Amino acid sequence: MAECPHLEYRETAGEQTFETARAYCAVADEFVQPMRADICTGRYGLAPSEDCEIYREAAETDQ
Amino acid sequence: MNAGYHDGEPVVVTAALTGGVHGKEANPNLPETPAEIGEAAAACERAGASVVHLHARRENGERAFSTDRFQQVADAVREATDDVILQHSTGGTAAPEDRRIEPIRTDPPPEMASLDMGPLNRYDHLTSENTRAFVDRLHDEMRERGIKPELEVFNDGHLNETLAFLDRSDTTDPPYLNLVFGGGTTSPPSPRRLLTHLDDVPDGAEVNVLGFGPHQLPVTTTSMLVGGHARVGLEDNVYYRQGEPATSNAQLVERTATVAEQLGRPVATTTEARSILGL
Ligand code: SF4
Repeated sequence: MAECPHLEYRETAGEQTFETARAYCAVADEFVQPMRADICTGRYGLAPSEDCEIYREAAETDQ
Repeated sequence: MNAGYHDGEPVVVTAALTGGVHGKEANPNLPETPAEIGEAAAACERAGASVVHLHARRENGERAFSTDRFQQVADAVREATDDVILQHSTGGTAAPEDRRIEPIRTDPPPEMASLDMGPLNRYDHLTSENTRAFVDRLHDEMRERGIKPELEVFNDGHLNETLAFLDRSDTTDPPYLNLVFGGGTTSPPSPRRLLTHLDDVPDGAEVNVLGFGPHQLPVTTTSMLVGGHARVGLEDNVYYRQGEPATSNAQLVERTATVAEQLGRPVATTTEARSILGL
Protein backbone atom coordinates (compact mmCIF):
# COMPACT_ATOMS: atom_id res chain seq x y z
CA MET A 1 0.00 0.00 0.00
CA ALA A 2 1.28 3.44 -0.81
CA GLU A 3 -0.88 6.34 0.28
CA CYS A 4 -3.34 5.74 3.11
CA PRO A 5 -7.01 5.58 2.05
CA HIS A 6 -7.85 7.74 5.07
CA LEU A 7 -5.56 10.57 3.95
CA GLU A 8 -7.11 13.77 2.60
CA TYR A 9 -5.61 17.14 1.83
CA ARG A 10 -7.63 20.01 3.24
CA GLU A 11 -7.24 23.73 3.69
CA THR A 12 -9.89 23.94 6.38
CA ALA A 13 -11.22 21.79 9.20
CA GLY A 14 -13.12 23.09 12.19
CA GLU A 15 -11.57 26.39 13.17
CA GLN A 16 -8.25 25.71 11.44
CA THR A 17 -7.52 27.23 8.03
CA PHE A 18 -4.29 27.09 6.02
CA GLU A 19 -3.15 28.72 2.80
CA THR A 20 -1.84 25.41 1.44
CA ALA A 21 -3.82 22.17 1.76
CA ARG A 22 -2.36 19.94 4.49
CA ALA A 23 -2.52 16.26 5.34
CA TYR A 24 -5.71 15.43 7.20
CA CYS A 25 -6.65 12.08 8.70
CA ALA A 26 -10.29 11.12 8.20
CA VAL A 27 -10.07 8.57 11.02
CA ALA A 28 -8.60 10.86 13.66
CA ASP A 29 -10.57 13.80 12.26
CA GLU A 30 -7.62 16.15 12.49
CA PHE A 31 -4.67 17.51 10.59
CA VAL A 32 -1.74 15.17 11.03
CA GLN A 33 1.75 16.08 12.15
CA PRO A 34 4.22 16.50 9.28
CA MET A 35 6.30 13.59 10.56
CA ARG A 36 3.28 11.33 10.55
CA ALA A 37 2.34 12.56 7.08
CA ASP A 38 5.34 10.61 5.81
CA ILE A 39 3.54 7.46 6.94
CA CYS A 40 0.22 8.62 5.46
CA THR A 41 1.88 9.24 2.07
CA GLY A 42 3.93 6.04 2.15
CA ARG A 43 7.25 7.88 1.84
CA TYR A 44 10.56 6.21 2.61
CA GLY A 45 8.99 2.75 2.48
CA LEU A 46 6.61 3.51 5.35
CA ALA A 47 3.21 1.84 5.25
CA PRO A 48 0.07 2.90 7.13
CA SER A 49 -0.89 -0.75 7.74
CA GLU A 50 2.46 -1.37 9.43
CA ASP A 51 3.57 1.95 10.85
CA CYS A 52 0.44 3.87 11.88
CA GLU A 53 -1.32 2.92 15.09
CA ILE A 54 -4.37 4.96 14.07
CA TYR A 55 -4.74 2.97 10.85
CA ARG A 56 -4.20 -0.33 12.66
CA GLU A 57 -6.76 0.43 15.36
CA ALA A 58 -9.29 1.49 12.74
CA ALA A 59 -8.65 -1.72 10.77
CA GLU A 60 -9.17 -3.85 13.90
CA THR A 61 -12.42 -2.06 14.69
CA ASP A 62 -13.67 -2.66 11.15
CA GLN A 63 -13.08 -6.39 11.37
CA MET B 1 31.22 22.46 32.58
CA ASN B 2 33.17 25.65 32.56
CA ALA B 3 31.34 28.22 34.58
CA GLY B 4 28.51 28.80 37.00
CA TYR B 5 26.41 31.89 37.41
CA HIS B 6 29.08 33.62 39.51
CA ASP B 7 31.46 33.59 36.55
CA GLY B 8 29.07 35.53 34.35
CA GLU B 9 29.87 33.56 31.21
CA PRO B 10 27.52 34.54 28.41
CA VAL B 11 24.64 32.20 27.60
CA VAL B 12 24.46 30.91 24.05
CA VAL B 13 20.77 30.98 23.17
CA THR B 14 19.70 28.71 20.33
CA ALA B 15 16.34 29.18 18.66
CA ALA B 16 14.83 25.96 17.28
CA LEU B 17 12.43 27.54 14.85
CA THR B 18 10.56 24.80 13.02
CA GLY B 19 11.51 21.20 13.81
CA GLY B 20 10.54 18.08 11.97
CA VAL B 21 7.63 16.70 13.98
CA HIS B 22 4.71 19.12 14.32
CA GLY B 23 3.83 22.18 12.26
CA LYS B 24 1.24 24.87 11.83
CA GLU B 25 -1.49 22.42 12.86
CA ALA B 26 -0.02 22.66 16.38
CA ASN B 27 0.67 26.40 16.33
CA PRO B 28 0.00 28.58 13.27
CA ASN B 29 2.91 30.84 14.26
CA LEU B 30 5.44 28.08 13.56
CA PRO B 31 7.46 29.09 10.47
CA GLU B 32 7.55 26.56 7.61
CA THR B 33 8.40 28.31 4.35
CA PRO B 34 11.91 29.66 3.72
CA ALA B 35 10.61 33.24 3.93
CA GLU B 36 8.83 32.58 7.22
CA ILE B 37 11.90 30.86 8.66
CA GLY B 38 14.09 33.77 7.58
CA GLU B 39 11.80 36.28 9.27
CA ALA B 40 11.63 34.19 12.43
CA ALA B 41 15.42 33.87 12.52
CA ALA B 42 15.83 37.63 12.24
CA ALA B 43 13.35 38.26 15.06
CA CYS B 44 15.11 35.68 17.25
CA GLU B 45 18.51 37.21 16.53
CA ARG B 46 17.18 40.60 17.61
CA ALA B 47 15.79 38.97 20.77
CA GLY B 48 19.15 37.43 21.71
CA ALA B 49 19.58 34.15 19.85
CA SER B 50 23.06 33.63 18.45
CA VAL B 51 22.31 30.22 16.90
CA VAL B 52 19.31 29.14 14.83
CA HIS B 53 18.56 25.43 14.52
CA LEU B 54 16.99 24.81 11.12
CA HIS B 55 14.75 22.21 9.49
CA ALA B 56 13.19 22.45 6.04
CA ARG B 57 9.61 21.81 4.97
CA ARG B 58 7.66 21.43 1.75
CA GLU B 59 5.07 24.06 0.90
CA ASN B 60 2.40 21.97 2.64
CA GLY B 61 4.44 21.75 5.83
CA GLU B 62 5.67 18.18 5.34
CA ARG B 63 9.30 17.34 5.99
CA ALA B 64 11.98 18.08 3.42
CA PHE B 65 15.58 16.86 3.52
CA SER B 66 16.91 17.88 0.12
CA THR B 67 19.98 20.07 -0.18
CA ASP B 68 17.94 22.33 -2.46
CA ARG B 69 15.29 23.02 0.12
CA PHE B 70 17.84 23.53 2.90
CA GLN B 71 19.68 25.89 0.56
CA GLN B 72 16.50 27.95 0.16
CA VAL B 73 16.04 28.06 3.93
CA ALA B 74 19.70 28.95 4.60
CA ASP B 75 19.68 31.64 1.91
CA ALA B 76 16.53 33.16 3.38
CA VAL B 77 18.01 33.14 6.89
CA ARG B 78 21.29 34.69 5.75
CA GLU B 79 19.40 37.33 3.81
CA ALA B 80 17.20 38.26 6.76
CA THR B 81 19.73 38.10 9.61
CA ASP B 82 22.85 40.00 10.54
CA ASP B 83 25.40 37.46 11.80
CA VAL B 84 23.48 34.55 13.31
CA ILE B 85 25.06 31.06 13.38
CA LEU B 86 23.23 28.51 11.23
CA GLN B 87 22.83 25.00 12.60
CA HIS B 88 21.20 22.51 10.23
CA SER B 89 19.36 19.51 11.57
CA THR B 90 20.45 16.06 10.42
CA GLY B 91 17.62 14.37 12.31
CA GLY B 92 14.96 12.54 10.36
CA THR B 93 13.05 9.63 11.80
CA ALA B 94 12.36 7.01 9.11
CA ALA B 95 14.13 8.95 6.38
CA PRO B 96 16.93 7.07 4.55
CA GLU B 97 20.45 7.87 5.71
CA ASP B 98 21.40 9.30 2.32
CA ARG B 99 18.61 11.84 2.66
CA ARG B 100 19.69 12.84 6.14
CA ILE B 101 23.14 13.84 4.92
CA GLU B 102 21.72 16.23 2.32
CA PRO B 103 21.08 19.15 4.73
CA ILE B 104 24.81 19.64 5.39
CA ARG B 105 25.65 19.85 1.67
CA THR B 106 24.56 23.46 1.20
CA ASP B 107 26.90 26.10 -0.17
CA PRO B 108 28.30 27.48 2.03
CA PRO B 109 27.90 24.74 4.61
CA PRO B 110 26.26 25.65 7.91
CA GLU B 111 28.68 26.47 10.71
CA MET B 112 26.98 23.82 12.85
CA ALA B 113 24.79 20.75 12.49
CA SER B 114 23.04 18.46 14.92
CA LEU B 115 24.34 14.92 15.41
CA ASP B 116 21.98 12.51 17.17
CA MET B 117 23.88 10.23 19.56
CA GLY B 118 21.59 7.23 19.47
CA PRO B 119 18.15 5.73 18.88
CA LEU B 120 14.90 7.53 19.57
CA ASN B 121 11.36 6.14 19.43
CA ARG B 122 8.59 8.04 17.66
CA TYR B 123 4.89 7.22 17.75
CA ASP B 124 4.16 3.52 18.31
CA HIS B 125 6.04 2.01 15.39
CA LEU B 126 8.94 4.26 14.35
CA THR B 127 12.49 4.53 15.62
CA SER B 128 15.19 6.92 14.51
CA GLU B 129 18.05 4.43 14.67
CA ASN B 130 21.14 6.64 14.56
CA THR B 131 23.55 3.72 14.55
CA ARG B 132 27.17 4.34 15.52
CA ALA B 133 28.16 3.73 11.90
CA PHE B 134 25.78 6.44 10.72
CA VAL B 135 26.87 8.85 13.46
CA ASP B 136 30.48 8.40 12.30
CA ARG B 137 29.52 8.77 8.63
CA LEU B 138 27.69 12.02 9.31
CA HIS B 139 30.51 13.29 11.48
CA ASP B 140 33.14 12.48 8.85
CA GLU B 141 31.31 14.62 6.32
CA MET B 142 30.78 17.40 8.85
CA ARG B 143 34.51 17.43 9.58
CA GLU B 144 35.36 17.54 5.87
CA ARG B 145 33.05 20.49 5.42
CA GLY B 146 34.19 22.34 8.56
CA ILE B 147 30.89 21.92 10.38
CA LYS B 148 30.80 21.85 14.18
CA PRO B 149 28.54 19.09 15.52
CA GLU B 150 26.11 19.66 18.34
CA LEU B 151 25.91 16.26 20.01
CA GLU B 152 22.25 15.48 20.74
CA VAL B 153 22.06 13.54 24.02
CA PHE B 154 18.50 12.32 24.33
CA ASN B 155 19.06 10.29 27.50
CA ASP B 156 21.59 8.73 29.89
CA GLY B 157 22.47 5.98 27.42
CA HIS B 158 23.33 8.61 24.87
CA LEU B 159 25.78 10.08 27.38
CA ASN B 160 27.63 6.76 27.23
CA GLU B 161 27.45 6.90 23.45
CA THR B 162 28.76 10.46 23.50
CA LEU B 163 31.75 9.58 25.67
CA ALA B 164 32.60 6.69 23.35
CA PHE B 165 32.15 8.92 20.29
CA LEU B 166 34.50 11.51 21.76
CA ASP B 167 37.06 8.76 22.40
CA ARG B 168 36.99 7.46 18.83
CA SER B 169 36.48 10.70 16.92
CA ASP B 170 38.63 13.76 16.39
CA THR B 171 35.83 16.25 16.78
CA THR B 172 36.77 19.86 17.43
CA ASP B 173 37.07 21.27 20.95
CA PRO B 174 35.16 22.03 22.95
CA PRO B 175 32.65 19.20 22.58
CA TYR B 176 29.18 20.75 22.50
CA LEU B 177 26.50 18.56 24.07
CA ASN B 178 22.77 19.24 23.95
CA LEU B 179 20.97 17.49 26.81
CA VAL B 180 17.34 16.71 25.98
CA PHE B 181 14.55 16.45 28.56
CA GLY B 182 10.93 15.46 28.01
CA GLY B 183 8.84 12.36 27.47
CA GLY B 184 9.38 9.14 25.53
CA THR B 185 13.00 8.25 24.85
CA THR B 186 14.34 11.53 26.21
CA SER B 187 15.55 12.03 29.76
CA PRO B 188 12.75 12.37 32.31
CA PRO B 189 12.64 16.09 33.03
CA SER B 190 13.73 17.42 36.38
CA PRO B 191 16.36 19.88 37.58
CA ARG B 192 17.86 17.14 39.79
CA ARG B 193 18.36 14.82 36.80
CA LEU B 194 19.94 17.64 34.82
CA LEU B 195 22.45 18.18 37.62
CA THR B 196 23.18 14.44 37.68
CA HIS B 197 23.77 14.45 33.92
CA LEU B 198 26.28 17.24 34.33
CA ASP B 199 28.42 14.97 36.55
CA ASP B 200 29.00 12.77 33.51
CA VAL B 201 29.77 15.49 31.00
CA PRO B 202 33.43 15.45 29.97
CA ASP B 203 35.71 18.18 31.29
CA GLY B 204 35.92 21.16 29.00
CA ALA B 205 32.65 20.46 27.23
CA GLU B 206 30.03 23.14 26.74
CA VAL B 207 26.49 22.10 27.56
CA ASN B 208 23.25 23.19 25.99
CA VAL B 209 19.85 22.10 27.35
CA LEU B 210 16.39 21.78 25.85
CA GLY B 211 13.12 20.67 27.37
CA PHE B 212 10.01 19.70 25.47
CA GLY B 213 6.64 21.35 26.16
CA PRO B 214 6.13 22.64 29.68
CA HIS B 215 9.65 21.54 30.64
CA GLN B 216 11.30 24.12 28.36
CA LEU B 217 11.37 26.96 30.88
CA PRO B 218 12.36 24.96 34.02
CA VAL B 219 15.24 22.99 32.50
CA THR B 220 16.68 25.83 30.42
CA THR B 221 16.56 28.07 33.50
CA THR B 222 18.35 25.41 35.54
CA SER B 223 20.95 25.11 32.81
CA MET B 224 21.61 28.83 32.77
CA LEU B 225 21.85 28.87 36.56
CA VAL B 226 24.65 26.31 36.59
CA GLY B 227 26.66 27.64 33.66
CA GLY B 228 25.03 25.92 30.70
CA HIS B 229 23.35 27.28 27.59
CA ALA B 230 19.73 27.20 26.46
CA ARG B 231 17.72 26.16 23.43
CA VAL B 232 14.13 27.29 23.09
CA GLY B 233 11.65 27.67 20.27
CA LEU B 234 8.49 26.34 18.72
CA GLU B 235 10.20 23.10 17.62
CA ASP B 236 10.36 22.10 21.27
CA ASN B 237 7.37 23.89 22.77
CA VAL B 238 4.40 25.61 21.15
CA TYR B 239 3.09 27.25 24.35
CA TYR B 240 4.25 30.35 26.19
CA ARG B 241 2.55 29.11 29.34
CA GLN B 242 -0.13 26.53 30.07
CA GLY B 243 -3.09 27.03 27.74
CA GLU B 244 -1.50 30.03 26.01
CA PRO B 245 0.06 29.31 22.61
CA ALA B 246 3.33 31.14 21.94
CA THR B 247 2.94 34.03 19.53
CA SER B 248 6.36 33.50 17.96
CA ASN B 249 9.76 31.91 18.39
CA ALA B 250 11.07 35.33 19.37
CA GLN B 251 8.66 35.49 22.29
CA LEU B 252 10.30 32.39 23.76
CA VAL B 253 13.80 33.74 23.07
CA GLU B 254 12.92 37.06 24.72
CA ARG B 255 11.85 35.28 27.89
CA THR B 256 15.06 33.24 27.93
CA ALA B 257 17.15 36.38 27.50
CA THR B 258 15.31 38.05 30.36
CA VAL B 259 15.84 35.05 32.65
CA ALA B 260 19.53 34.88 31.72
CA GLU B 261 20.08 38.53 32.51
CA GLN B 262 18.23 38.16 35.81
CA LEU B 263 20.53 35.27 36.72
CA GLY B 264 23.61 37.33 36.02
CA ARG B 265 24.40 35.65 32.72
CA PRO B 266 24.64 38.03 29.79
CA VAL B 267 23.25 36.76 26.51
CA ALA B 268 26.08 35.87 24.12
CA THR B 269 26.57 37.93 21.02
CA THR B 270 27.23 35.96 17.87
CA THR B 271 30.94 36.77 18.22
CA GLU B 272 30.97 35.53 21.81
CA ALA B 273 29.03 32.42 20.80
CA ARG B 274 31.60 31.57 18.10
CA SER B 275 34.35 31.93 20.68
CA ILE B 276 32.55 29.79 23.29
CA LEU B 277 31.70 27.07 20.74
CA GLY B 278 35.09 27.04 19.05
CA LEU B 279 33.75 27.93 15.62
S1 SF4 C 1 -2.76 9.12 10.40
FE1 SF4 C 1 -2.70 6.91 9.92
S2 SF4 C 1 -4.84 6.39 9.49
FE2 SF4 C 1 -4.70 8.61 9.38
S3 SF4 C 1 -4.29 9.08 7.22
FE3 SF4 C 1 -2.30 8.90 8.22
S4 SF4 C 1 -1.67 6.76 7.95
FE4 SF4 C 1 -3.89 6.89 7.52
